[in-house]
Amino acid sequence: MIQFFQVYKTYQANIPALINISFKIEQGDFVFVTGPSGAGKTTLLKLIIRAERPDQGEILVNKRNVTRLKNSQIPALRREVGFVFQDFKLLNNKTVYDNIALVLRALGHKKREIPKRIRQVLRVVGLDERVLKQPPLKLSGGEQQRVAIARALINTPSIILADEPTGNLDPELTVEIMDLLGKVNNLGTTVVVATHDTSLVDKYQKRTIPLYKGKVAG
Amino acid sequence: MGVGYLVRRTFGVMKENGPTHVLSIGTIAIAFFLFAFFLLLPLNFTSFVEAWGKKVQIILYLKDGVKQERIVQITGELQREAGIREARYISQRQAMESFQQDLAGYGGVLEGVEEEIFPASFEITLEERFRTPERIRALAARLDNIKEVDEVQYGGMWLERFSLFLYTLRWGAWILGGILVVIIVSVTANTVRLTLYNKKGEIEILKLIGATDTFVRLPFYLEGGLQGLLGAGGAVLVLFVLFHFFTLKVSPYVNLYFGQLRLHFLPPNLIAWILGIGVISGLLGGLFSLRKPSRI
Repeated sequence: MIQFFQVYKTYQANIPALINISFKIEQGDFVFVTGPSGAGKTTLLKLIIRAERPDQGEILVNKRNVTRLKNSQIPALRREVGFVFQDFKLLNNKTVYDNIALVLRALGHKKREIPKRIRQVLRVVGLDERVLKQPPLKLSGGEQQRVAIARALINTPSIILADEPTGNLDPELTVEIMDLLGKVNNLGTTVVVATHDTSLVDKYQKRTIPLYKGKVAG
Repeated sequence: MGVGYLVRRTFGVMKENGPTHVLSIGTIAIAFFLFAFFLLLPLNFTSFVEAWGKKVQIILYLKDGVKQERIVQITGELQREAGIREARYISQRQAMESFQQDLAGYGGVLEGVEEEIFPASFEITLEERFRTPERIRALAARLDNIKEVDEVQYGGMWLERFSLFLYTLRWGAWILGGILVVIIVSVTANTVRLTLYNKKGEIEILKLIGATDTFVRLPFYLEGGLQGLLGAGGAVLVLFVLFHFFTLKVSPYVNLYFGQLRLHFLPPNLIAWILGIGVISGLLGGLFSLRKPSRI
């Protein structure tokens, strides 16, 4: 569950990024956050994982008040949230296996448990095990985004935040990735997709939070 | 986080930035080599000074015409003086005979020379614990107060100056050590900063997936510490090899002039200190490079 109460966020030089934002996303929902570039979509996602702090208002994520978290409590919040980026943010000097395993290693999972978990998540995102030994750059854009989703899912988070996840993909791969996010949502994970692509929103007919110049439009 | 994984991550971080680390460790090693060398020097000179100190005697030259009873009295006074092991009286005749013996090969050089020109004296040998330049000087000053004493000589006057030189050298080495710490902290901090820059992407991801600060930072601290350790260790190793070469090839020639000079390498506790300073200053470097939260 994600809940915003009258949230304001202003960057330096008094540029307002979000103005009086309030909404509630229930557990298991699939929501689009839409709007043109600069509307505040990425800021909104960053506030959810406390990569940014609001100037005013309260944010609840899985009953945690994110605005009042101590720095030492932030890792625990982020372990409940998986993040997918437009540019994948994969480590190109590591193999696909190491990219995904990094999460489990960082979170202290046992070494022998890691290969099994990776094989499981690979099946969920529809990738062949042969990609594991390859560096991400040897894969297609769609495959790279699947690896990024696998990395976001490996710790079984209750929320997936995706920032323009299909922004770098052609229409065919876009459908594949959106279908995959739909599948993840069907497994009970809350999915929040930030996108400027209105055709995507029209096609999938999900709940939308439209942003325009930092405000919820309409 | 497993220790094995942590070590692999640290070495991985260093390997990816290999040439920079080699340069950094090399710089640290040069600095430590100088430090260790300046510690080794006084260490060996001290043993050299101690060896010479054992041979030091105080000689009291007496004025002319000191009566026999007074000589017996002075002998007693000297024997009661703290630090004196033996006080041997050398009469004018004995002094002349000794001199004649020394010049035995020169035929009649001393013909016609009378014993009156040789002053009577006391040759004083000291207890071991009194064979330090400070104590010898203090004792010599006290003995100079005896009315019948004309002059006090002790062969180790140069030792005093040399000891002062060693004292300065020893302190100089530790001051150099202090400067060294600043250099190492700065070198490692800059290298770690470079690594941080190279690992920006990985750090960003680790933070986003909920890795703790300790997990993210630890390899960078260790990287600093490891650089310090390798630099200090390398310096000690190179110094040891050079020292070994010196003792094998050069010291026989030195012994020709200075007698049996026993050379010592740095003792284990001093080596441990050097390595410890390396590790701690390296860790400090890592710490400094990560002190701004925005960097991580």
